[in-house]
Amino acid sequence: MEMKLKIDGKDQKVSAQILQGTLWVHHNGRTFTLDVAQGRKSRKKGGAAGSSDQVLAPMPGKVTKVLVAKDTPIKMGQAVLVMEAMKMEYTLKADVDGIVEAINCIVGEQVALGKVLVKITEAK
Amino acid sequence: MKNFKRIAIANRGEVAVRIIKACEEMGLETILLHSEADINSRAYRMATKTVCIGPAPSAESYLNIEANINGALAGGADAVHPGFGFLSENADFAVACEKAGLTFIGPSAESIRLLGDKVQCKELAKKAGLPLVPGYQGENQNVDFLIEQAKKIGFPVIVKAAAGGGGRGMKLLKDESEARELIESAQREAQSAFGSPVVFLEKYLDRAKHIEFQIFGDSVGNVVHFFDRECSVQRRHQKIIEEATSPSLSEDLRRRMGEAACAIAVAGKYKGAGTVEFLLQDGEFYLLEVNTRLQVEHPVTEEVMGIDLVKMQILTAQDNYLHDLKAVRVPSGHSIECRIYAENPYLGGVPSTGLLGFAHWPEGPGRRYEYGFDAGDTITPYYDPMIAKVIVWDTDRSKAIQKMVRVLKDSVVFGVHTNIPYLLEILTHKEFVFGKMTTRFIETYFADPIKEVELSETDKKVAAEALLQLRGRSSAATNELSPWGSYWRGV
Repeated sequence: MEMKLKIDGKDQKVSAQILQGTLWVHHNGRTFTLDVAQGRKSRKKGGAAGSSDQVLAPMPGKVTKVLVAKDTPIKMGQAVLVMEAMKMEYTLKADVDGIVEAINCIVGEQVALGKVLVKITEAK
Repeated sequence: MKNFKRIAIANRGEVAVRIIKACEEMGLETILLHSEADINSRAYRMATKTVCIGPAPSAESYLNIEANINGALAGGADAVHPGFGFLSENADFAVACEKAGLTFIGPSAESIRLLGDKVQCKELAKKAGLPLVPGYQGENQNVDFLIEQAKKIGFPVIVKAAAGGGGRGMKLLKDESEARELIESAQREAQSAFGSPVVFLEKYLDRAKHIEFQIFGDSVGNVVHFFDRECSVQRRHQKIIEEATSPSLSEDLRRRMGEAACAIAVAGKYKGAGTVEFLLQDGEFYLLEVNTRLQVEHPVTEEVMGIDLVKMQILTAQDNYLHDLKAVRVPSGHSIECRIYAENPYLGGVPSTGLLGFAHWPEGPGRRYEYGFDAGDTITPYYDPMIAKVIVWDTDRSKAIQKMVRVLKDSVVFGVHTNIPYLLEILTHKEFVFGKMTTRFIETYFADPIKEVELSETDKKVAAEALLQLRGRSSAATNELSPWGSYWRGV
């Protein structure tokens, strides 16, 4: 909703709304969000910066191709699987060298944001 | 001449709303043919009637010819408007409509086959004397063979879906190493988006501008053009910002390209709205493709020409639209469109889905908004991420850019992230401001996700105060449940 706030004596035009534990604010030509969930551990948003021995789903979507097999060696930058969301294909790649420890999805599966799709045992 | 009473819309989102508005102005009823996922959308609420044609995945609903025809017949439609995307360039759908006694609002199935299929279109263009980009457009779809052809053409080479457009099934091969993976991926995307895995190859022009002409064939086959649009700002071959007219054409070039656009439309016996796309590099232009449908960016042409292309399409389909061939058509001022995508610009544009919260589009002179969802609707992961289009008009290009910047800054979308911060950076980039951008503009200057600006002290105070206000309001609402509520009420 739109509101006028007095901050340090100056009037500020602001739009703000709480949606599912996230505060959305539009102020001074830009929109930003803050996690304000009460009594819950804050959920990590997005998936782009997952830990490197895992391949996470960066968005909700469908797995269209799995390009590696369990217990096989894998190289950093190697394509691991292909996802489709909003009609575009995204190729997910491995962040580390290692061995594929587990594949937690199948072709055709609709996966949620942040799901661990492939786990890799990092080469020492 | 035909007189329609009811038009079925085989589409969704903002374009469905656009068609409904045109129909309303013409006194026509509308039937929205929608999937189960689109019950919470503006088009669903605005249409006179709605018919559910299938589940969320587009292959089972929006791309299902039989379901669309049955829906249109069940709703008592006289005609079907396919919008853009989905079945809009599908000749079989046009044939199925006519067979069922429904008028397909668009060119004939024959024109769609001649011009819409990119391979056939190039054959026709050769005959009509239009310049073409070197490439391979044959039937052989063997991946090894295609790699050989790509080597012959010389890298970089682009792979495209023969049956579609809009960036789907399109991949850039920089060298041989990734060729196999990318060609196979393009074939899969083409299959899933257009129902045909056929792709073709083309030499990639590395400093070209994307210029297109809006053509229109009237009821008796006169073809004129309504000038040009420039859509060089593209990411992964998907347009982001479009404008009319192009800042890059000399009068001579504009005249020659316009004539070429009309020539191929005439050769394809074109009726209704269509777009002839060109690449322009070093003063030479090449035919890219013909889109046998209304274009996403049609509003910028409408703004500078003062026309309504959707109404013209419907009148043409009724055999009731003739061009005034004596009229001098002159574009006025400048118009820009920004596509608003539901994506996170700080994470490289990964799709953002979910419940749409508060949304505000600041109205004013020369501002136009095309959107398909209101607060409380859900942005689902099943379809294209474009949730809205913002269009501005002003007397010249720099004023139009200024207006767009202001309008985007004042536009509010809560609940899903949008590319607005990304658009703002593009609009203020020197190369865009000077009108010098090429189709490689985005990959050259915006390859990495944009950086999120740190919150200022004021921003933080604003957020804290806003949170207090919002929580205060909600606790006031629950006051009645507290023991004090009844006490105070009694005072």
